[in-house]
Amino acid sequence: MFGWEFPPYQAGGLATATLGLVKGLIGAGEQVTLVVPFSAEASSVPGLRLVSADGAAPGLVVHHIASPLDPYGTAEGYQELLAPARKAGTRDLYGADLWQEIDRYAALAGDIAAREPHDVIDSHDWITFPAGTSARRISGKPLVAHIHATEYDRCGPGANPEIVRREYEGLHAADRIVANSHVIKRQVVERFGVAADKIDVVHWGIEESARSFGPLLPSPLPAEDPIVLFLGRVTWQKGPEYFMEVAGRVSGFVPNARFVVAGTGDLLPRLIERAAELGLADRVHFAGGLDAAEVDRAFRMSAVCVMPSVSEPFGLVGLESLRCGTPCILPRDSGVAEVIQNAFKIDYWDLDAMTECVVSLLRNPPLREELSLLGQAEIEQSRFRLEASARKTADSYRQVHRISRGI
Amino acid sequence: MPDICLYAQVHQPWRLNRFRLFDIGTQKSWFDDAVNGEIVRRVADKCYIPANRVLADQIRRSGGRFRMALSITGTVLEQLERWAPDALASFQELVSTGGVELLGETYYHSLSALADHEEFAAQVEMHRAIVERLFGVRPTVFRNTELIYWDGLAPTIASLGFKGALVEGADQVLGWRSPNHVYEASSAPGLRLLARHYRLSDDVGFRFSQQSWEGWPLTADKHADWLHAGGGDSAHLFLDYETFGEHQWSETGIFEFLAHWPAACSARGMRFVWPSELCQRNPVGSLSFPSPTSWADLERDTTAWLGNRLQHAAHDRIYRLRESVMASGDAGLITAWRRLSTSDHVYYMCTKYFADGDVHKYFSPYDSPYDAFVAFMNVCQDLEQRSRSGLGLKAAS
Repeated sequence: MFGWEFPPYQAGGLATATLGLVKGLIGAGEQVTLVVPFSAEASSVPGLRLVSADGAAPGLVVHHIASPLDPYGTAEGYQELLAPARKAGTRDLYGADLWQEIDRYAALAGDIAAREPHDVIDSHDWITFPAGTSARRISGKPLVAHIHATEYDRCGPGANPEIVRREYEGLHAADRIVANSHVIKRQVVERFGVAADKIDVVHWGIEESARSFGPLLPSPLPAEDPIVLFLGRVTWQKGPEYFMEVAGRVSGFVPNARFVVAGTGDLLPRLIERAAELGLADRVHFAGGLDAAEVDRAFRMSAVCVMPSVSEPFGLVGLESLRCGTPCILPRDSGVAEVIQNAFKIDYWDLDAMTECVVSLLRNPPLREELSLLGQAEIEQSRFRLEASARKTADSYRQVHRISRGI
Repeated sequence: MPDICLYAQVHQPWRLNRFRLFDIGTQKSWFDDAVNGEIVRRVADKCYIPANRVLADQIRRSGGRFRMALSITGTVLEQLERWAPDALASFQELVSTGGVELLGETYYHSLSALADHEEFAAQVEMHRAIVERLFGVRPTVFRNTELIYWDGLAPTIASLGFKGALVEGADQVLGWRSPNHVYEASSAPGLRLLARHYRLSDDVGFRFSQQSWEGWPLTADKHADWLHAGGGDSAHLFLDYETFGEHQWSETGIFEFLAHWPAACSARGMRFVWPSELCQRNPVGSLSFPSPTSWADLERDTTAWLGNRLQHAAHDRIYRLRESVMASGDAGLITAWRRLSTSDHVYYMCTKYFADGDVHKYFSPYDSPYDAFVAFMNVCQDLEQRSRSGLGLKAAS
């Protein structure tokens, strides 16, 4: 499997999702060889969080390929990713630009495929698609392409045609595609012309770790002020600007409400400016990227989590929020809205409706409690466990495996 | 061999507009005339008019031996007058056959019995008045909203002049006893209680078209056999009138069932009786309902309307507004407030089984119980502000 490791600070759901899948597969008794890019210069803690303290998990082999690739890489942002290597003097080891680096990574992936025994190859989103195709060419084993988001989801009208091309190639080269929602399956069929019967939908699961949460640390903000949370990359896809407009409206109804923006991204400067324009400079708090423990803490101190995503093929944040008992406003057309009942579902552009939901939640504790308890109960159902998603994914693996052996 | 007492409930609520936070203070109307008109028209065509025709026909053909009872809420009568006068006329014609007894209830199909006995009595009187005006008869037997009944309510029902009340034949109340007898209220001797035979009622109301049910397909003869085998003095079949053509579509054969059923019962020697006839009989014993019981869900309690925090918050909110609304003296405002007391509004907020997508969802015009709550509370807020400002609905219209 060509997947993703947790960066020191969580930038998005892709690492969480692929590692969750690996964990679920191992839990279900499958053998996994995981290949992940590893930023040798930037991180001081190599190794996967899912590997136990002694560095071994039964059924799992991990290969790290030194590379500055990150799951949300852009052609423009690549030079920034190279900065630590430049400082360390290892700059020349890596590709000159993102495309070269992806190809270099794919070649190394092929080497691993030649050495490591495997029956099926899995790769996650476009950056690892070339690695998957290269491995397929060398070992002749079937390729499953996991699609979590397309370039159209991430950038909409600003989609990079070269990335779209690589997505197209990866999706068509794959023997089978696993999509994490019906929303994205439609996208792959309509935009990339892939036959619908080549795509399996497997919704993401989540680890049931809520019970093991530590004691609730006090909120750093005044306890009597309700907090409205945005958690995600501060990029076009996640709709942070809609969140800020809603913040302005909500303040008119609930003057002591506070708004926390957790995450980073290219829209952050514009967002900070807009907060000041709206007179909310002292009401909006920018938390930056959070680590896993801080993410849980952010959820638990918030009265509501708002997801105004313009595009949200799945939306793991919704599951994480409900797991913490924090009511959530989900994008109406999202994967998470396909599987969750106990939440509001709103169109990202419908600022009035979003404001209304937030105000209702802040003003009515019974509504908050009901959504919190039922949302948490819903997420505890077994269909949301990692093993459940992993079993379904393994079915897709078996299918291509059987076909490849002519059974 | 039991006599057979059939009663069906006719009700439609005044559904709310999608009333948004930003609609507060804008004089936007609270009730959705377009949706209400459309639904009432549809139900009239699919259910009320064809079912009335079948029943009137059966009454005439049997020479009056086939008889039954209906209870029709004030809120549905208002809407029929406005959007389906032909359906109202067809009810009037059905009642004029002399074969249909009309029952008393709260005009607004409300939960006022659980909240405010003064309001409850007022709504019961209003219902009596509209039934007298439109049908020229005076109900003598009572059925409360969704058959909600408990010992504490019995004296109030008796004091309003009713001879008997319809109740749910809940296992937790009856225990080993059969529902097929006339009982009396332990807390108001003299008030007769008729307990619903829920299994035989739901065989028609819920299971009629369920192909996975072992009793499917249900024929009139089969159902009559079961009724006959049930024994006792009288079997009480209580169900929603919308069963005929709306919950069970015409294609399921429900109207053919209805047309053959009276003859199938008569052929087995069973006679039809009105609730008021049964209330003349001596009770075989008394029943005690320590807590509110209803005909809803498996629990047979009030948790379909008052089962979660949202519902309690909404229910409390509306009854807290009563005093100021009444004090405003504004008839339009008072009517609107009473329409908000209709139990359907809190029913839409039910989160029981919500994740499983069940029967509650089928009846709700909202995407989720949470949307229902938000819209309802927005209307309450607007109503409160209007009653405080003294503008009322005069300014709104």
